[in-house]
Amino acid sequence: MSFLGGPECSTGANPLAQFQKQTSADTSLQRDRLASRQGPQLNGFRTQQARPDDAAFQDFAHAGPQMGEALPTGGLHFEQLRREQELLKRGGAGSPNWAGEFAQHSPHFAPEEFAQQRGAGFNPQEFASFRAQQAQPRTASPSYQQQSSFQQPMYGGGGFGMQRPMFQSQFMNRPQEPMYEGKGKGRVQELSDTDWEKQFEQLSTEDQTEELDKEAEEAMERELNQIDRDLLGDMDYAGHMGDEYDQWKDFEGQFGEVPTRDFQNAPEFGTYMFEENNLFKDVPNAYEEGLKIMREGGNLSIAALAFEAAVQKDSDFVEAWVALGQSQAQNEKEAPAIRALEQALKLDPNNLEALMGLSVSYTNEGYDSLAYRTLERWVGVKYPQLGVKPRGLDEEEDLGFTDRHILHENVTNLFLEAAQLNPEGSDVDVDVQVGLGVLFYGSEDYDKAVDCFNAALESTQIGVMKREGEEHLLWNRLGATLANSGRSEEAIEAYSRALDLKPNFVRARYNLGVSCINLGVQEEAAVHLLGALSMHRVMEQEGREKAKEVLQDGSGRDVDDSIVEGLLQQNQSTNLYDTLRRVFTQMGRRDLSEMVGPDMDLGAFRKEFEF
Amino acid sequence: MSLKDDAFPSSAAFDMISSALSSDEAERKDAVRKGGAIFAFTLKNDQKAESSWYIDLKESGEVGKGQAPEGKKANVVLTLKDEDFGKLISGKSNAQNLFLTGKLKIRGDVMKATKMEPILKKAQNKAKL
Repeated sequence: MSFLGGPECSTGANPLAQFQKQTSADTSLQRDRLASRQGPQLNGFRTQQARPDDAAFQDFAHAGPQMGEALPTGGLHFEQLRREQELLKRGGAGSPNWAGEFAQHSPHFAPEEFAQQRGAGFNPQEFASFRAQQAQPRTASPSYQQQSSFQQPMYGGGGFGMQRPMFQSQFMNRPQEPMYEGKGKGRVQELSDTDWEKQFEQLSTEDQTEELDKEAEEAMERELNQIDRDLLGDMDYAGHMGDEYDQWKDFEGQFGEVPTRDFQNAPEFGTYMFEENNLFKDVPNAYEEGLKIMREGGNLSIAALAFEAAVQKDSDFVEAWVALGQSQAQNEKEAPAIRALEQALKLDPNNLEALMGLSVSYTNEGYDSLAYRTLERWVGVKYPQLGVKPRGLDEEEDLGFTDRHILHENVTNLFLEAAQLNPEGSDVDVDVQVGLGVLFYGSEDYDKAVDCFNAALESTQIGVMKREGEEHLLWNRLGATLANSGRSEEAIEAYSRALDLKPNFVRARYNLGVSCINLGVQEEAAVHLLGALSMHRVMEQEGREKAKEVLQDGSGRDVDDSIVEGLLQQNQSTNLYDTLRRVFTQMGRRDLSEMVGPDMDLGAFRKEFEF
Repeated sequence: MSLKDDAFPSSAAFDMISSALSSDEAERKDAVRKGGAIFAFTLKNDQKAESSWYIDLKESGEVGKGQAPEGKKANVVLTLKDEDFGKLISGKSNAQNLFLTGKLKIRGDVMKATKMEPILKKAQNKAKL
C-alpha cells in the first residue's frame, strides 16, 4: 500500500495529501510574518504605523532562545513533513513495493521492544530530547536528511511513539538499512492519523505550556504562541477535512477558476431580509425605477424597495444587489447593506463596486480585518499586475491584532503600488485614492485619510467610487474622517456639502447629528437624528404617492393603505435609534429616550423639536 | 440598575452597551452569534483601584459587574486604564493601537478579543463613512 500513489487513495480522501496543502499554506503564513518586513518601503507615508509593529518584531527576533523556538518548532514540522511528502511521492511512485521494502528494514527493532515503548507513551526525557533535536536543525533543516547520526538513537529512545513522520523520514532516507521484521509493518499502520495527531498535539501543548510558563505575562508573545496553536489547529483539521473539502472541490469545479469559496463560507451577516409588502412587487422595470429615484435624490427607502423587488424577481441580478447595498448604506442601514453586498459577491466575487462598498461598510461596523481583506481582493482584481493572490475571507476572523496590523500594512502597500501604476494618464486612479482613504481611516491615520478623500474630490476622474452625481458620498466620507479626528466644525461643513447635493442622504444627516453630540449641542443633534428617522418614515407619505404613480402605470389599481402602512418591517436602523437614545439620556430626558424604538411615534417629538 | 461606577467615569459605556443589547432581541442574538465569548473588562483608575465588568456574548447577551456571570468564567479579560477605555469607547483610539502600544493587556483568548470591537461600536458616537 502506498500513501499517495494508489488509485484507492484519491487526493480528497488522503489525509497526507490534504496535509500537504495545509502545510504549504501554513508556512506561507509564517513566511509572511517574517518576510513582510523586508518588503519594499514604498514611501515615507507609513513610517508612523510601522513603528509599533517593528518594535514587536524586534522583540520577537531578539527575545531569547525560548522564544525563538516557539515558532520555528512549528515551522520545522511543516518543512519536515512536506519534504517527507515529496519523498513519499517520489519513492511511492517509484517503488510500489514500499511496504515490502519497509518490512525488510531494521535488524534490531523487535516488535516486543516497540510495543513496550509505545506503552510507556511519552515521557519528559523523550520530550526533552525531542526538543533538543528540534532546536538544533532549525536553521539546518534543508539538510535534514543528513542527520542520520542522531536519528539512529531515536529508534531506541522511543521517538517512534511520538511522531510518525519522524519515523517515516528516517525510513525513507535510509533505504540501505537492512531488514525489518514483517510485524513492523502492522505497527506502522496502527499509528493512524488520529493517533499521531493526538500525540503530536500533546507534544505541542506541552511545548506551549512550557513557553507560557516562562513568559506568560507578555501579551505580544502570547499572540505569537496563539499563531502556533492555530497552525496546529489547522493541522488537526487537515485530517478531518474530508467532506467539506469535497464540497469545495465540486464547487470550484462548477465555477472554474473563480475563487468563490471565501464568500460562500458562512457570511457574517446572514441573508438579506426582504420587506413583505413591496409596492414595486409587480413593477416590471423596478431596477430602472430604483436608479431613477437614486439619481433624482428621491427617498432612499423607496429606492431600496425598488431594488429589492428587482432581485426578488431575478436573484442573480448582481447590479441590483449592489445598488440595493449602496442605497441601504446611504440610508444608514449598514447591516442590510452588508447582506446585500455579500450576496452580490457570492454571485460575482470580483465585483469591484461591491468589494469597495463592502469594505467601507465593514470598516464602519468594526470588522477591520474583513475590510482589509476585501480591499486586498479589490486591488488584486483591479490591478492583476500586482500579482495579489486571491485569498479567502473566511479565515480572517481568527486574526489577532498583530496579524491584522501586518495585513493592513501589506494592503496599504499594495494600494500605494497601484497608485504608482497610473494606468490612465497622469492622474491617480480615484478609486485607489478612496481605498487608501478607507485604509488610513481604519488605522486612524486621519490626516492621511483626509488627504486621500480630498484628492479624490479634486480629481477630475470618474471611477466606481466617484460617479457622476455621487460626489455627496465622498463629501460624507471626508466629513466622517474629519469628525473622527476631532475636527467636528470642518466635518459639519463637509456634511452640508453632501446634503446640498442630496438632501435625502440619511447617513450624512446622521453624521451631522453625531458631530453635534461631539460638540455638546444635544438638542441640535436630536433634531438631526429625528430628521434622519423621519426620512425613513416620510416614505409613508411619499411612498403612497410613488406607489400610486408606479402602480397606475402598471395596472391602474388604487393603493391599498395596508401596503403602505406595512412597509419597512425588516430593515430598521438600530444605529439611529441607539444614538438618539443616548442623546436623550445625556439630555437627562429618560422619558424621551424610552419612547425611542422602531414603533416610536415621531409626531410626539414634534412638540419639542423642529425637524 | 446602573452599571456605572462613579470612580470609573468611562464605565457609563457599559450602560450604553447594555441598553443597546437589551433594546432589540434580534440585535442581541446577532451580537451573541458574532461574539461567542464572555468578555471581561478590568478597568484601573488613577487611584489604582480596579473594577471589572463583563459582557456575556456567549449565552445571555447581558452586561454586568464582575469578571463573569455567576458560575462562569470569562474567555478573555481585557485590562486597561479607565481613561483608555474612555478613548476606546468614544472611538478616539482603537483596540489594535492600544494593544500594540501595551496599553491594553489581554489575558485568555486573544483571537476573541478582536471580536468585541463591533460590540463596542454600539456604544460609540462615531461618524460613518
